[in-house]
Amino acid sequence: MRILLLVVLSLIPPTLIGSLVWNGRRALPTEHATGQARSTGQEADAALKSLFETPLPGAKIKEKVALYDEKGLFDYIDGAAPIFIERHFRKLAATEMATPEGSDLVCDVYDMGSSENALAIFTAEKSANAKVVEGWPEAIAGSMSFVFHTGRYYTKMTAFDAKAEAALPLVARALKEKMK
Amino acid sequence: MSDRDPPPTKDVVLEARVRAGSAKSEKAPEEMDRRALLRVGMTTAIAGGAVALGLTLRSRDGHEKNRVLPKLKDHRIGKIQGAVEMAIARGSDPAQNVRRAVEAMGGMGRFVQRGERVVIKPNIGWNRLPEQAANTNPDVVAEVVRLVAAAGASKIWVTDASVNTAEQCFARSGIEKAAKAAGATVVRPDATAFREVDVSGKLLRVADVLFPFVEADRVINVPVVKQHGLSGATMAMKNWYGMLGGQRVKLHQNIHLSIVDLASMIKPTLTIMDATRILLANGPTGGSLSDVKMMNTIAVSSDEVALDAFGAGLLGLSPSDLGFIVEGAKAGLGTPDWKNLKTEELGG
Repeated sequence: MRILLLVVLSLIPPTLIGSLVWNGRRALPTEHATGQARSTGQEADAALKSLFETPLPGAKIKEKVALYDEKGLFDYIDGAAPIFIERHFRKLAATEMATPEGSDLVCDVYDMGSSENALAIFTAEKSANAKVVEGWPEAIAGSMSFVFHTGRYYTKMTAFDAKAEAALPLVARALKEKMK
Repeated sequence: MSDRDPPPTKDVVLEARVRAGSAKSEKAPEEMDRRALLRVGMTTAIAGGAVALGLTLRSRDGHEKNRVLPKLKDHRIGKIQGAVEMAIARGSDPAQNVRRAVEAMGGMGRFVQRGERVVIKPNIGWNRLPEQAANTNPDVVAEVVRLVAAAGASKIWVTDASVNTAEQCFARSGIEKAAKAAGATVVRPDATAFREVDVSGKLLRVADVLFPFVEADRVINVPVVKQHGLSGATMAMKNWYGMLGGQRVKLHQNIHLSIVDLASMIKPTLTIMDATRILLANGPTGGSLSDVKMMNTIAVSSDEVALDAFGAGLLGLSPSDLGFIVEGAKAGLGTPDWKNLKTEELGG
């Protein structure tokens, strides 16, 4: 009798906890990544990070390169995140760089998963005043900014002074070469 | 014991008792096992029950239920019959625009009393320069600090929960330097700067709020006018996202209702809207000066819905285009018909 009572008592907490977890504390259902998908994701991350592994002409990385996934994107670009996510955003590599003169710029490379998605976000974000870079139709240069798309990548760079602004095309072309 | 046995002596009785004791002690391991098992079982049950109870007492957002938490105060002041309800100043000097608009509203002394503690909430969300118009203009923030100081405030905080790295945002925006020079205490959103507060919202019941919002007597909202990818625009009501820690993803689901929910939680004393430069595209982050337009305008009111409706017009939008203005009006937070308010417009 005691043993039976013991078994019943012991079963209550796990049942209660299990019920709580089942009824609301579990993560939202997600598609389980297959081994191959995981491997592809890791390769894509490695390719994204490798863009910054060797020095770029015109500017060097000040600190580290931060990677953001879909959830983390809100912590970096806040309410701009959904328009990327709707276009199948995969990952962002963001870093602050400095020119040899000490002028700062920010470089954000969005891995959109495919060239179609990269073009889609480029088109969506292209403002009416944007000027296409001569000889490079996939790039636009605004005052203090330079934006382009190549393959699966969409890149946005922002300068914080005239010297950094002057370095943007140089850094952009070097990145484009690496993205091939 | 048989009939032939002699009657037991005292020693025999004692020996029998000892033997009986030994026999009993031979059974003890089995008894102890059962007791130990029972004890372990009970302990597990109690511990498990406590964990389950703990989980039950915590709400889904990870905050403890049934705990008495501080609430945000109502920071508004009473209405004065016949007073100006909205003031708009235009001109090339942002600080002068602030002074003229606040003066038209009756002066800062109408809103801040001597000895009160005041928190000023600009937008310091972004690692951007003032020219890029992603943050509130630092000259505007500094002038608000000076006016509040002149009204006799005993403490002036300037704070915001930045989206990008706070250190970069506070420095690059120019706000930290300008606010400190004007006499404010600048509070960066590090881990120690937040307090758990009962905000009693519809979507958010408990939130981690920057401490000056809990401690201040008066709250002054100083937003910038920007296009926003998700909500259409970010101005006065949306600026309250920067009061909170760690809720970004959650609060961007059902964005318009989230904005109204947040705006209902905090009842600011005054809103001074910065439209010196406005960001017309690629908001809220911005970056390109091509997306920025000089408006040289400051608008002041206690009605955030009216100010957002006015700001929508600057962005080329109708108030009805923006769900949070429609919902904010429905929730009784203010009126989108700002032209029906008693308004004073001051030219440049």
